[in-house]
Amino acid sequence: MGINTQVTQDYEKTKWLENLGRYIANTITLTEFDLRKIWHDSTQIWVRLVQPVLWLVVFGNALSKFRVIPTGDYTYMQFLTPGVLAQSVMFIAIFYGITVVWERDLGQLNKLLSTPTARSAIVLGKALSAGVRGIIQAVAVLILAIAMRVNLNLHPLNLVAVLIIIVLFGMSFASLSICLASIFKTRERMMGIGQAITMPLFFASNAIYPVSIMPTWLQYLIKVNPLSYMVDALRGLLLPGYISSLRIDLLAIVITTVVLVLLASLNFRRIIN
Amino acid sequence: MNQESICVEKLTKIYPRVKAVDEISFSISKGEIFGFLGPNGAGKTTTIKMLMTLIQPNSGAINIFGINALAHPDKVRQISGYVPQDVSIDGDLTGYENVLLYARLFNVPASIREQRIRETLQYLEIQDRAREMASHYSGGMMRRLEIAQALVNRPRILFLDEPSIGLDPSARMIMWKLIRKLRDEFETTIFINTHDMNEADTLCDRIGIMDRGKLIKTGSPAELKASVGGDILTISSQSPHCLDRLKELGYRALSEPATNHTVSILVSNGERLIPLLLDSLKASGVEVETVSLKKPTLDDVFLKYTGTRIDERDTWESTRRSRRTMRKLNG
Repeated sequence: MGINTQVTQDYEKTKWLENLGRYIANTITLTEFDLRKIWHDSTQIWVRLVQPVLWLVVFGNALSKFRVIPTGDYTYMQFLTPGVLAQSVMFIAIFYGITVVWERDLGQLNKLLSTPTARSAIVLGKALSAGVRGIIQAVAVLILAIAMRVNLNLHPLNLVAVLIIIVLFGMSFASLSICLASIFKTRERMMGIGQAITMPLFFASNAIYPVSIMPTWLQYLIKVNPLSYMVDALRGLLLPGYISSLRIDLLAIVITTVVLVLLASLNFRRIIN
Repeated sequence: MNQESICVEKLTKIYPRVKAVDEISFSISKGEIFGFLGPNGAGKTTTIKMLMTLIQPNSGAINIFGINALAHPDKVRQISGYVPQDVSIDGDLTGYENVLLYARLFNVPASIREQRIRETLQYLEIQDRAREMASHYSGGMMRRLEIAQALVNRPRILFLDEPSIGLDPSARMIMWKLIRKLRDEFETTIFINTHDMNEADTLCDRIGIMDRGKLIKTGSPAELKASVGGDILTISSQSPHCLDRLKELGYRALSEPATNHTVSILVSNGERLIPLLLDSLKASGVEVETVSLKKPTLDDVFLKYTGTRIDERDTWESTRRSRRTMRKLNG
């Protein structure tokens, strides 16, 4: 009897481990195959770069000339680069739900859901792939900023930290997008919703101007906007000597990511109904 | 041992505006090719999705190879393969990658994975073009690739939703041969949905006739056709009394005639009956213009049990459109 219980317990334990292994493997598989698509056709990467290039080259240069925005010890380009970096990752992630709607309209999602893969692993795999796409975007923006001779702190450890929080941040907004896709289910609606979310988040943040010059009510909005924490963290890591609240920023980003991934996973079953 | 692969009892799915599946019960034997025949919107796809554990029924029980599907959906998914009606391959990946993706998601062990994929691609005769992007494939090849994705896991049961829809006649023949071969070589149980009578007739061992959410009749194609009760004579005549005279002679019209001019009746030994019938009609003053004799088809079976014909005008496009609309409505 005792031996039997022991055997059962061991079996349960290995079963549990095996399931966890499969869960992680399935998540990585989904991310990997999403990235393979970029490997086959990288057009969308280049198209996505147009916007950040405009922000840095046109908007950034113009405002640097006027010197109307007080950015303390830093040039406006230094101040703007982390903002544009965060914004471009957010833009990619927030429209990620459209891909999911597309896969739903074809039979791909149905087929994916007919495998033993856990629903949450599908959400996690897709969110992770949005995060990794964010890295590609971030690297391009950083290269552009360096080419424009923006003075940035490029210590390898800082860069690694930048990439990690970009992945987390991309995951959180991609999850939000997948969650919305499960509810709204059409590409047209998702386009509209994406626009409706990104612009207010971008302008009600510290991405293109310092919080201190904003009216009080907007400062409160900025405080609850995840993008602000992201931008603050990136400034702390990329601008030499910039004092950021890195711990709070990281905490805010991690909590947002966990909450949104969970929410998207719980909501995901609604997508095929 | 239990020879049943699927056993469904009183399965029901209700959407806000419509009872999509209404208390259907049926069972399928191991190694059988079983088909649901019915028009669009009959509830066939909803049923397949419930069997495949993609959507939850409102009530009823599903047992697949002894597994209670509602309690253990993941176990059902591990032994099943599913090919949805809509295109389910990823055109932005190669054919090989499409199959590799599913081999990994079905947790095919890494040690046998490559060999398994090679065999599957060979079996479906796409190995020569496996390194090409799947978006360059023809319709027939795409369908075969979709089946490859499902087969790489060596499923015990394969669900095919309209397997030959949108395929040209030769690709359709290849598909039918393939499905039969799968059953014969691997004893795979195969469940198909179709609105194509020909497909149901030539491919299926047994057919379930679905209409408006209800499973109306189950049986082998031969049994079902025999149940129509004989040959069908269609008589056209300008005479207004044709139908009445036929009734007086003891014949029953198959359905109320669509126009006043043609009427179909059910007879046995139609070839011998035609001359006699023409004589009796002429004697009672009815001028007959044309007579045609037809051996019963599944369409007639459908007509007998539901009172309507499966709409032949349904094209792939209209099917897709109606599915989309339904999905949007239900969303």
